[in-house]
Amino acid sequence: MTLVLAWNNVRTDPMGFAASFAAVVLAVMLIGGSGLVVTGAATRDELNGVMGLLVLSSAVSGFVSVFVVAGMLSLHVLRQRRTWALLRSVGMTPRQVSRLITAEALVVAVLAVVAGCVLAVPYAVLMAAFMRATGLAPGGVPVEVATGPFIVALVVGLAVTLLAARVAARKAVGVGPLEVLRENAAQRRLLPWPRAVIGVLALAAGVVLLWLVPQVKPADAAPTALGATMVLCVGASALGPVALRGMGRLLGAVVARLDPGAGMLARSSLVAQPRRAMSAASPVMLTVALACTFLFAVATTDAAAGVIRTGPSAWVAPTLVGSAVLYTVLSVLNATAMTMAERADEIRLLRTVGTKPRQLARMVCWETLIVTCAGTLLGTGIAAASLTMLGKAATGELRFAYSLPQYAGLVLVCAVSGLAGGLAATRRARRGALLPD
Amino acid sequence: MAALRQVSIGFPRGSFTAVMGPSGSGKSTLLQCASGLDRADSGAVHIAGQDITRFGENELAVLRRDRVGVIFQAFNLVPSLTAWQNVILLTSLARRRADPSRVRELLHRVGLAGREGHRPAQLSGGQQQRVAIARALLGRPEVLFADEPTGALDRRTGHEVLALLREAVDAFGQTVVMVTHDPEAAARADSVLFLTDGRIVDVLDRPSVDQIGMRLGGRR
Repeated sequence: MTLVLAWNNVRTDPMGFAASFAAVVLAVMLIGGSGLVVTGAATRDELNGVMGLLVLSSAVSGFVSVFVVAGMLSLHVLRQRRTWALLRSVGMTPRQVSRLITAEALVVAVLAVVAGCVLAVPYAVLMAAFMRATGLAPGGVPVEVATGPFIVALVVGLAVTLLAARVAARKAVGVGPLEVLRENAAQRRLLPWPRAVIGVLALAAGVVLLWLVPQVKPADAAPTALGATMVLCVGASALGPVALRGMGRLLGAVVARLDPGAGMLARSSLVAQPRRAMSAASPVMLTVALACTFLFAVATTDAAAGVIRTGPSAWVAPTLVGSAVLYTVLSVLNATAMTMAERADEIRLLRTVGTKPRQLARMVCWETLIVTCAGTLLGTGIAAASLTMLGKAATGELRFAYSLPQYAGLVLVCAVSGLAGGLAATRRARRGALLPD
Repeated sequence: MAALRQVSIGFPRGSFTAVMGPSGSGKSTLLQCASGLDRADSGAVHIAGQDITRFGENELAVLRRDRVGVIFQAFNLVPSLTAWQNVILLTSLARRRADPSRVRELLHRVGLAGREGHRPAQLSGGQQQRVAIARALLGRPEVLFADEPTGALDRRTGHEVLALLREAVDAFGQTVVMVTHDPEAAARADSVLFLTDGRIVDVLDRPSVDQIGMRLGGRR
């Protein structure tokens, strides 16, 4: 029976499953692949100098993988809360529903981990080729199939997927079935206390790490700054709904003034559902915070050491962090699409009462842009804090090196992928048949 | 399979018409075609002298926004908007400003004074229907279509909603067309249309509940 139900869920929500599956595949590929590159590089003495950079970029990949998979799985489970409520209202116990959710997650995780491990080898070969081309490893990096990275990727992939699904399942079955079916837009609690505690602790830990950056050995300054960024990202994403509601109000008021109808709709949905909005803003924040910290940390330490990189070698840092950024950008698209797809009924209702298709498209765009903007602001703030402290460590001054085109490019890519995801996910509701049958 | 065949009917301004019939008789299709939610394969729908079957997607949207009110059985309100915002939604979409005193008066009239800031989830089913009625009335539409507006409500709340529709006809001269399967609801209308297999089979003027019940074949 569980199998029938599980299969039925997969069939009714193919997009959600595809998104979760892709997130886990890519995560395992990133972790396994960068692990292979690091173990391969460790066998060559001449690569000792770049080992630090390699390990740092692998840490970034691992972190974003865990972060994105956890976010995606929780979004996926909570998105189906109507299904869970329906199953409970016809007599399934919370435990049974919880087990069903775990079983589905297990199937997704196992299949995705296998696929990810297979893809890890070509990914590692590709990365090695890039490193050779940019001159980071002129002699090349030998990529050998070692068991260590695969085991790490496998364990992380399975554990994070299952854990995230279980936590989300507990949340999903903690709400009474009728409450869910009764279309509860007013979210119950903006910040449940476990989330608040995690957020505050992470922020505090981040601040301590920031303070440590100029205190530790110069060689450890950059890793510590990167660690601070990661920990601050965790804190910001936990406390994010509060920040997002504030920003939603502020930016929404501006938009509602520019475009009263569509703007008002965009603002009110952000203010009423800041947690939903935060799940789309989180990957933007992650992209901006981590990419900026990594790229501009390299730039800052280079500038302090008087190193000027030109030609292919200017692409060393972007190459190393590129795949992690690509991954988070994909997850921006995914998360925006999934949060917007939830709105299909609302969009149809708006059409029946006379909202023009173009107004609906504008509503989706405004909302996505506000979310992107909020994510960018949070990410920029976090990266700026880490980089400022790194600058202090490197030069004694509260300054850091940065590249405006790279920054603008990052933000633009996030905004474009958010818009693409939002518009694609709502296309059927905006343009398709108005009546459900 | 045609849901409607050769139905020709006019709804006079300021009248309250109920449409009845067994399920599958085409009563909802009639309402959807008449309100521009769906297109008839052939024939014409005129609202205030304009044939809306020739309208494009945008014109239909403007029609529904400015000249036609629609109320469904449930899920009429945007969940993230408050009662007040739901009422002024259509004027905002048209880039017009709603007169706050009129919005307040309408909400007062439908019995929702003091609930302006509530979201749909914080309102009962009957209250949500009343917000939907206030929204429809704010734009002074040519015609207000209601598809089973009391279908999801208990008897007493349903009566209150019907009384509001009746009042809209009597006090504002609003044209109302209501699809219902409830003889008591239909008895509040000026006339009742009976549809079977996509055809109009009978029209009763100012019928009593018993007359409607008899016409439906004694099924209650």
